[in-house]
Amino acid sequence: MNDYLEKILRAAKLAFAVFDQDFFLQDASKLLAQYAGGRLQKKSATLWEVFPELIGAEDKITELLEQKAKKYELEKLSRFDQEGKLLYYTLTLFSHQQSTLSGAQLIVLITDTTKETSLEQQIQQQKNEIRLLHAKVNQYNAQIPNKIYGQSAHIQTVRAFIDKIAPIKTTTILLLGESGTGKNLVANAIHQQSMDQNAPFIEINCASIPETLIESEIFGYERGAFTNALTSKKGLLEEADGGTLFLDEIGELPHPIQAKFLTFMETKRFRRLGSTREIGVQVRIITATNRNLLQAVKNNEFREDLFYRLYVVSHQLPPLRQLGDDILLLAEKFIEIYAYDFGKKVKGLSESAKSKLMHYEWPGNVRELRNVIERAVIFAEHEFLEADEIILFELRPMATTTSVATTFELPENGISLTELEKNLLRDAIIKSDGNQTKAAKLLDLSLDTFRYRIKKYNLDNFSAY
Amino acid sequence: MPEPTKISKKVCMLGTFGVGKSSLVRQFVYQKFDESYLSTIGVQLSHKAVGPLLDKKTNRPVHMNLILWDLAHLEKFDPVVKNYFHGAHGAVIVLDLTRPQTFREYENLIKPFFETNPESKLVLVGNKTDLSADDHPRTQIAEMAANLNCPCHFTSARTGENVELVFQTLAENIL
Ligand SMILES: Nc1nc2c(ncn2[C@@H]2O[C@H](COP(=O)(O)OP(=O)(O)O)[C@@H](O)[C@H]2O)c(=O)[nH]1
Ligand SMILES: [Mg+2]
Repeated sequence: MNDYLEKILRAAKLAFAVFDQDFFLQDASKLLAQYAGGRLQKKSATLWEVFPELIGAEDKITELLEQKAKKYELEKLSRFDQEGKLLYYTLTLFSHQQSTLSGAQLIVLITDTTKETSLEQQIQQQKNEIRLLHAKVNQYNAQIPNKIYGQSAHIQTVRAFIDKIAPIKTTTILLLGESGTGKNLVANAIHQQSMDQNAPFIEINCASIPETLIESEIFGYERGAFTNALTSKKGLLEEADGGTLFLDEIGELPHPIQAKFLTFMETKRFRRLGSTREIGVQVRIITATNRNLLQAVKNNEFREDLFYRLYVVSHQLPPLRQLGDDILLLAEKFIEIYAYDFGKKVKGLSESAKSKLMHYEWPGNVRELRNVIERAVIFAEHEFLEADEIILFELRPMATTTSVATTFELPENGISLTELEKNLLRDAIIKSDGNQTKAAKLLDLSLDTFRYRIKKYNLDNFSAY
Repeated sequence: MPEPTKISKKVCMLGTFGVGKSSLVRQFVYQKFDESYLSTIGVQLSHKAVGPLLDKKTNRPVHMNLILWDLAHLEKFDPVVKNYFHGAHGAVIVLDLTRPQTFREYENLIKPFFETNPESKLVLVGNKTDLSADDHPRTQIAEMAANLNCPCHFTSARTGENVELVFQTLAENIL
């Protein structure tokens, strides 16, 4: 073939191959080697060897050779070349008959589309990545228990409370219970059972917002209401209009705001800071606390009238340790979630692990259980979690440690009394988190003696440990 | 023993994006797995021989060269896709065990596929066993396979679990 023809083909990113009636390779441009690679040996190579992608298209090819069809095209094919690079190409097939005497030939054109298709690939890639992430998030959300799990009598009472209270949208609710008992889960459940799907659920933790900001946070403000109020801002009450406002740790609500809040509860109307205009909203209020509110009332930290207003519809959530077998049920639910999340093949709890979970106090309740399981699943080695994989934060003093031996035998090789004393002092400091009074007590020393000794051993810099 | 006969057959990989079609092919052909996701455009072609299988009709051993058509996720059905399906002898339908909500999406593919190739053989695959300890999706897939009257296997393109078996089963059924 002419030299310049090869050049033209190369510039046009085209290659071709010609096959005879019996599908043997007759002619090809040099570039074909790049697509067909090792399969290409002139003379003996057949159409199916050079283009395995045409297996299954025998009928289409016959149609071409019999002039029953003009062309056959396969777009956006790709395969790895010999260097491992992905090539995109289009195959176009048609027949050619030089004269009525000679048989028809089959011509295969290969158009390199790597450049264009790579661009399309990048776009599609991003689309699909987003969809995969969405699918993952949805699956994850579907697994998060926004349902109240459990079969114990305690949990059934909680569920019955929710069922009874949810339809009455105007009642204010007070949820009581230790921290980690799932007060916001219950608040959420009440919300979901009583409101439309799109109704807002707004949550605020009264303990986590500085006293000076909480009023503007809840009620909003007008421009100029205070020095930094450059624009007006809606408060959470307005954000929650048509839905639920959940105030966690209501016991921490500052005294002056308690009065304003009580007024709102009675009238369902309020004013933004710096405004004279009253705003009315339809909001269900759910509050929660882990404090003893009655005690707070006695201490003059919480308004008595607000307390009684909230207390009308209240419910005490049970601590985890009272839930019996539900502890295991919840643990298994969390295992399912975290196993999915971390891609681990953990299926459940061994008998020893079950017993360990059942014999623990759970001061941090469900939240603590969740954290403990999360950690255990991350480090899990087997399909069933073992007791030693469940790490509990034992804060209670162990009953047996009180009668520790204060005498022991001197080893044959002797011991350094100085080193021993140093170690005990250091230990005491660590055990009491650097609190010297406590540390001195642990060693039954007066504070002065203790201080003298740690100075002597240069141990008075706690952060050195 | 007679020389094995060599034949080539076309097999399509079907399923929603991200279920692991490309990963299964990569594991089968190159014994490799890649954590990162590279979305397929059009068709990616590769091939691998399985066998020898025993052809019961002729009692001769057969090496079957599987031409694997790893199809991209198809947004809508256009004629180009019919060309991709044309002449296929079999298909591997892949489902992702961790995404049961996408299980039914293959139904849009299987209908045009069967219209083009009424005789072709199927294998249903539940992939990503390494990520899913749950029995429920497996039961669902087994039921779907029973309805389609085809075998089903549970695989991991990551660990290689049952990957050979899928293609071996399909090759035997095509023969
Ligand atoms: N863990 C795990 N990941 C897999 C498995 N199969 C595929 N993947 C991952 O799933 C994603 C999509 O896989 P891919 O083969 O591109 O899916 P395709 O769109 O069906 O071709 C990639 O990130 C793969 O690494 C599997 O068996 N186990
Ligand atoms: Mg793919």
